[in-house]
Amino acid sequence: MFRRLPETASDSAEVTLWVDGEPRQVGATLSVAAALLQQHGWAEYRLHHDGTPRAPLCMMGVCHDCLITIDGEPNRQGCLVIVKDGMRIETQMPAAQPTPGASTG
Amino acid sequence: MSENSTSSQVAEVAIIGAGPSGLAAATRLAKAGLKPVVFDLNAAPGGQVYRQVESPQADLRVTGIDYRLGQRVVEAFRRARVDYRPDSRVWWVQRVDAGFELGVLHEGRSAVWRARRLILCHGAMERPFPFPGWQLPGVMTAGAAQVLLKQGGLLPEDAPILVGSGPLIYLLGWQYLQAGRPPTCILDLTPRHQWRLPLRQPVKAWHARGYLFKGLKMMLALKRAGVAIERDIDALEAIGDKVLEQIRYRQRGHWKQRPASLLLSHVGVVPETHLTRSLGLTHRWHAEQQSFLPVRDDTLSADENLWVVGDGAAIGGAVNAMREGTLSALEVIASHHGLTKEERHERDGLRRERARDLCARQLLDAMFLPPLNIDAMPEETIICRCEALTRGDLDQAISDGAEGPNQLKAFTRCGMGPCQGRQCSVNATLLLSRRLAQTPDQIGQWQIRPPVQTITLGELATPGVVENRET
Repeated sequence: MFRRLPETASDSAEVTLWVDGEPRQVGATLSVAAALLQQHGWAEYRLHHDGTPRAPLCMMGVCHDCLITIDGEPNRQGCLVIVKDGMRIETQMPAAQPTPGASTG
Repeated sequence: MSENSTSSQVAEVAIIGAGPSGLAAATRLAKAGLKPVVFDLNAAPGGQVYRQVESPQADLRVTGIDYRLGQRVVEAFRRARVDYRPDSRVWWVQRVDAGFELGVLHEGRSAVWRARRLILCHGAMERPFPFPGWQLPGVMTAGAAQVLLKQGGLLPEDAPILVGSGPLIYLLGWQYLQAGRPPTCILDLTPRHQWRLPLRQPVKAWHARGYLFKGLKMMLALKRAGVAIERDIDALEAIGDKVLEQIRYRQRGHWKQRPASLLLSHVGVVPETHLTRSLGLTHRWHAEQQSFLPVRDDTLSADENLWVVGDGAAIGGAVNAMREGTLSALEVIASHHGLTKEERHERDGLRRERARDLCARQLLDAMFLPPLNIDAMPEETIICRCEALTRGDLDQAISDGAEGPNQLKAFTRCGMGPCQGRQCSVNATLLLSRRLAQTPDQIGQWQIRPPVQTITLGELATPGVVENRET
């Protein structure tokens, strides 16, 4: 998990993000991936098609391990989308068995 | 791929990227009366190094004094007469006559732009650094940690472990120390003899003195604060069931284990070559930077009416990137309406400064040559993260007869996932190079075709708004 610097936490604007149906107050400057790393941590961020858990690696648009469902649209690059008030996020952790060879892209 | 040209928007000069080089190029062009269009993937100007510089989320005491330079550069850019387009993905570029056509995706719509001249300022990415377990949640790059710090003042809840080689490891460690969250330890993978290079290359060391002193200062501060700096490490593993739990490393022949919740790795940065490769530009292997670089002439031009500058062309750092951005703008001005005497002076001065800085860069490249070669990694090490292919999978395909990168891709799907090979392309080439005893240039890299950025079918099908912006 990540936490905010005390001085940042005190003077930054916040928005409400709905993460898997739960409301979360997050800093308005954060990307979706950053907000999740702060609020939710890196566990249970996304299940890869090989059945292994994955979480953001690079945070700068390269690795595509931050893929996440934003406002119903799956596989968005969470590190490139800045949070907006009322945005709905779903972590991509299906309970179903992985499909071998299926691409997430 | 070509669209009806009547629906395209037109610019004399297009710039891709709003990091140090793009900001400098745009600002200089605007000063000369040429209004460039600037496309950037990010929501605000500054690139990775000056991310969030307009509304800093962490004190300069934490981010460091260099960040302030970024504030001035972005302010000048904001004042300049520039058509700035943030949140814009350039997903294809092609040559049309003497100019270029660009596909630009913004808010779910794709538009076509035409530009007579193009300056690529798309920047670098962190060198992919595969080791067993690097795909586990809890392993991130040091660059990612810096993004979190700059973008939202985010610090790890529990003290992290830093691993790798190069200045960014110590910069991040120092920033975390300033913020009151020092790392538990730094595993420095730089071989000992490389630290002694400045003594053997005094001229280069003199040119690099600024960088070297800054690095020493940070290292001393970390040591004084009790952060253990471990050296002589030649193997590394991340271990965990669903998330990172432990790291193992081999130090002077002995395996050691430490509990870890967050491992931040970094082995330098490399140019992001998707765009330049998709344009069919020649790239050559640069042994010192251990990466493929687009070939440029003395004017930083890679082709007619095309300039590639900053860390997307060769790693030189933010200050050099700004210099190259300005230089490319002056070349555009020269080709557009010629240079004044003052402008020629400005250009010559920048060229001299650049030459001095590149001399220093050679020393830094040699000191921080990427450690732990890919072919020495255990066979279970994932190389292509998207398709979850291991070093063993790729070696199997090579022994089955894959003789080059395109074949390796066809045999295994390596590089065909969402990241489009950004994380595995160079490592696949290096593995082929070692196994087939050919140079990286002989092996080459697989072909890049558009889209060079991920785009959904829906976005592809949504026609762009036609704004008549003839300038």
